[in-house]
Amino acid sequence: MSTDWFWIYDIPTARLALLSIALFVGVYWSGLILVRPFLRPLVRNIRAANDIVGYILSCFCVFYGLLLGLIAVTAYQNVSEAGSNVTREAAALSALYEDVSRYPEPHAQNLRWLLRDYTRYVIKYAWPLQQRGVIPQEGTIRAEAFHDKLLDFQPQTPAQEILHAEALRQLNHFLECRRMRLFSVKSALPASMWYVMLLGAFFTILLCWLFDMTFVAHLALGGVLASYLGTMMYLIVDMNQPFRGDVSITAEAFETLYARMNEE
Amino acid sequence: MPGPASPNPPRPTGLSRRRAVARAAATCAAARVLAPGLFVGCSLGIPPRAKTVPVGLLHSQTGTMAISATALRDIDLHAIEQINAGGGLLGCQLEARAPDPRSRPDLFVKRAQQLLEGGVAAVFGCWTSTSRKAVLPVFEEHKKLLFYAVPYEGNESSKYCVYGGGVPNQQITPAIDWLLSPNGGSKKKIFLLGSDYVFPRTANFVAKKHLATKNLRPAGEVYLPLGDRDFSAAVQQILFSKADCVLSTVNGDSNLGLFQALTDAKVDPEKLPVISTSIAEDELRSMMPQQVRGHLAVSSYFQSLDTAANREWINGFRREFGSDRVTDDPMESGWCLVHLWKAAVEKAGTFETEAVRQAFVDGLELAGPGGPVRLDPKTQHCTKYFRVGRIRLDRQFDIIHSSDAPIEPDPYPQIAFPGWSCDWTKGGITRGPEVSIDGDI
Repeated sequence: MSTDWFWIYDIPTARLALLSIALFVGVYWSGLILVRPFLRPLVRNIRAANDIVGYILSCFCVFYGLLLGLIAVTAYQNVSEAGSNVTREAAALSALYEDVSRYPEPHAQNLRWLLRDYTRYVIKYAWPLQQRGVIPQEGTIRAEAFHDKLLDFQPQTPAQEILHAEALRQLNHFLECRRMRLFSVKSALPASMWYVMLLGAFFTILLCWLFDMTFVAHLALGGVLASYLGTMMYLIVDMNQPFRGDVSITAEAFETLYARMNEE
Repeated sequence: MPGPASPNPPRPTGLSRRRAVARAAATCAAARVLAPGLFVGCSLGIPPRAKTVPVGLLHSQTGTMAISATALRDIDLHAIEQINAGGGLLGCQLEARAPDPRSRPDLFVKRAQQLLEGGVAAVFGCWTSTSRKAVLPVFEEHKKLLFYAVPYEGNESSKYCVYGGGVPNQQITPAIDWLLSPNGGSKKKIFLLGSDYVFPRTANFVAKKHLATKNLRPAGEVYLPLGDRDFSAAVQQILFSKADCVLSTVNGDSNLGLFQALTDAKVDPEKLPVISTSIAEDELRSMMPQQVRGHLAVSSYFQSLDTAANREWINGFRREFGSDRVTDDPMESGWCLVHLWKAAVEKAGTFETEAVRQAFVDGLELAGPGGPVRLDPKTQHCTKYFRVGRIRLDRQFDIIHSSDAPIEPDPYPQIAFPGWSCDWTKGGITRGPEVSIDGDI
């Protein structure tokens, strides 16, 4: 999904859900008035046309329902995985902070200060950028500054050597998690999946238009089906971007860590 | 015989499609008439995104100058965040862009170009004079302003640079006068020690000229490459010269090596104090307090300045960046520069460089944490206090001397650069005879 569509995520969640439902119901009802009169003659002379349309719709809905379900699970897993990366990064940062706090002064203070600076940047600058679908760049500079400073330290005792080795190991883990977080900023369902999903929704509605029933019953029953399709689409759109929408990852793990860093 | 059943039996009576369509059409028509009244204020609910104006921060965050320059980035960010929190500037939020020039002059040029081509309104940055001189042609080409916060050697004035740090007549010559005075210990043999680049060389050139007006010569003069940490030979030279004071223009993390060598040589700061131009509270964070205690530094601002404005400023910075953070002279200048630029933009009513420069003409004033600051429109330099601090064990300074009032800037002191002057409210730079700073005094 291209970032041209990112304005969608600026719409408040409840309103986005209502809009999605309104769009699908609107398409269904409009089609009922404008398109159905032309479609209906295709099946008018077929005996038990409703049964046939019903069989085809059931069959179609099995495949389409499976597809929607799997896509929703994939989108959720995507968010969940990105969330795990964020938690792991914050945990690694916390462990690193603890390690460097054991260094002799002035190294400990300088290293702690650099990690605090990184955490502040992630909360105040990186997160808003991620929410706009932009990969933040300046965190790399802060991570490099910390790396340089850590390598400046020359252990003088065997205990310091062990501590330094552990800090370096923790740093590598932190950098790995950080990279994973940055990768997940742009992770989303591919465009082809969206096309298949929307086409499936359209065919579902098209088949429903072929049913023969009273107009009001059509409006009511078709409206229910269309509104649920709209709800599913909203759910998938909302989960599509790990850092956007209601179902998205917040900077809470970093905020908690930053608060603790500032308490000391 | 009854005929075949119709595939579609007649529908039960009720609301026919034709009637429903007719009603829907009537409803639509009514909605069309009533909509302007019913849906007033309805929208997608997308919050309006504030207009942003990018601002460049060009400070080394890695490499040898990171020890000093990172704090400047932070104070610039702090000032920008304060402006944004107060509603922004001309209705726009400022968006800080802070690439890392890695303490390399070539990268300073590249990053400056990237920032200016990216459309930044102004750039706040550079620490060393080498980096400033490297990027100035880029700013002059793009006709954008660079705000430079660090004390420097003078002998320069660019139409597109605003200088917030002190020049030699605000720092070096008052330091020498103080050292020669009874309060400064009536020193007579001053050793000039510096990093080998344009600031120390030019500052010491001015120092030598100033000493010459007092019929004095320096006890010695030594330069080491920027970033060099082996000062043992230099300290031996100082001891051999029988100097009674060292005027140090050593910059960056080379200071770690200098004070290590002084400690190794058991130099007593009571007998042979080092008076540094480039050591402030932020550099002291990385130094061992026992090594620097008792030595001196000159500055226009010290964190220990006991005023309500200063305390409020420090607390504001610490609330955002951590309670163990310190403030220092370049940070104070950096913060003042961002706010002076804000005042100029507000006065001009635009971010356009020429209009902003025009706003300087009447002079801009600001109540800074270190005292009142005025931007001199002629030189585009700021007025500065002169203060001397003695380093304490807690990495702070005892202020042992302060000028009575801010000193006016003079980037071309006539003792060193005769015939040179600048006035940007009139014709710009008046050139005198070429001066070689490596020449004989």
